[in-house]
Amino acid sequence: MSNISDPLIVLDPTVSPKTINTKLANRPETLNGIKVGLLANGKHNSEELLQYVYDALNNIYEIGALRKDNKGNASRICPPELLNEIAEECDVVITASGD
Amino acid sequence: MLTSEQHQFTDAHQAIEFYFKQGWTDGLPIVPPTPDLIKKFIGHSGYTSDQIIGEEPVKGRTVTIEKAAINSVMAGCIPEYFPIIIAATKAILESEFCLHGVTASTMGAGVLSIIDGPIVDKLSINSEVSTFGPGHRANATIGRAIRLIIINATGSKSGELDKATLGHPGKYTWCIAENTKGSPWVSLGKEKGFGELKSSITVFAGLSSIQVSNHHSNTPEGILRSFRDALWATGPNQGEILIVICPEHAKIISDSGWSKNDVKEFLHKMTARPDHEWGAGSLPPLGNVPSGDTISSATLSPDSYNIIVAGGSAGAFSTVIPMWVAGIGSKSVTKEI
Repeated sequence: MSNISDPLIVLDPTVSPKTINTKLANRPETLNGIKVGLLANGKHNSEELLQYVYDALNNIYEIGALRKDNKGNASRICPPELLNEIAEECDVVITASGD
Repeated sequence: MLTSEQHQFTDAHQAIEFYFKQGWTDGLPIVPPTPDLIKKFIGHSGYTSDQIIGEEPVKGRTVTIEKAAINSVMAGCIPEYFPIIIAATKAILESEFCLHGVTASTMGAGVLSIIDGPIVDKLSINSEVSTFGPGHRANATIGRAIRLIIINATGSKSGELDKATLGHPGKYTWCIAENTKGSPWVSLGKEKGFGELKSSITVFAGLSSIQVSNHHSNTPEGILRSFRDALWATGPNQGEILIVICPEHAKIISDSGWSKNDVKEFLHKMTARPDHEWGAGSLPPLGNVPSGDTISSATLSPDSYNIIVAGGSAGAFSTVIPMWVAGIGSKSVTKEI
């Protein structure tokens, strides 16, 4: 039986996120001649926003090629197969939310 | 063996204040989760403390039996409720429920849990008078435990990753039983594949409910006609909607020989209208504002409706509960308890 003067021990209800060891991707020295991927997240105007960004960059650089994708659902992580496909094909990817 | 970080206080009041300061509550005082209480809950579950219930992949959170038990104690549950909470946690962590989206979204859905089966009577889970109201420990604390797990174990805290514009009162607690005694039809649990001897919980990502009143009709068509404007308010082509029919309405409908499927077919046809009449709707449709003469109903199909009977025997009020992102962004999930 606990003594009235015993300390009250209680536990932490939270969960920490998993630790992922990662690093920033290497930055290209220029966007001239590279392939850019645009990955929209499915929200309204996310494709338009990305196009705007691409057009602004393309005015400054001579971007080599363009690939456009839309993951379709803003609330879910991008399917790994699509990410792998984009990563293999593109040098740089820009992703965005709309609304 | 319990592995969560421990904190030490001289009394319960100090502990309660600490949990408030840490942001580990829903804004209400919690029951301090002591190791003894947590072990009682785990002992009632048939699992060990380190077993994993599931993962929330977007925020990278793994929810264990121990963490679920801590939050269940905090909510004010008794150990006998814990198997229900484990089943609910499994359900909300299923991919098709899309928990991260539901709980981070500006749309602000609550998690509505509906319990069926023998456990309802065994644990006195309310399905009758004031079904969605206060006063019943099981309803209040089971729903609360689910929310505390969402806040603390999956990391969805109001104002941080929970960015709801208005939120939803069901985010405090939203848990009921189906009134199978007052229902002339097969239960939701049975429709989802669980026999009468099995208990189940179905979780929905619910938005604000729209109450429907009809105290004058004595035909199925008359009763269901009252649902039309509530359903039109939800917007066209909903993937899933929940209708909670009160016992009085259910009896009038079923006395004319109508089944749940008859109700679903009728509601689907009744809400059909040209797209240009849908306009912007009260809830955003997916894609652009509908226009033109294509006919759309409130739901994609009659099977989009989930129907339960709940509520007291006095008063003829039913309700329509639409779902997050038109009932397409998140799907309801049912798990055995």
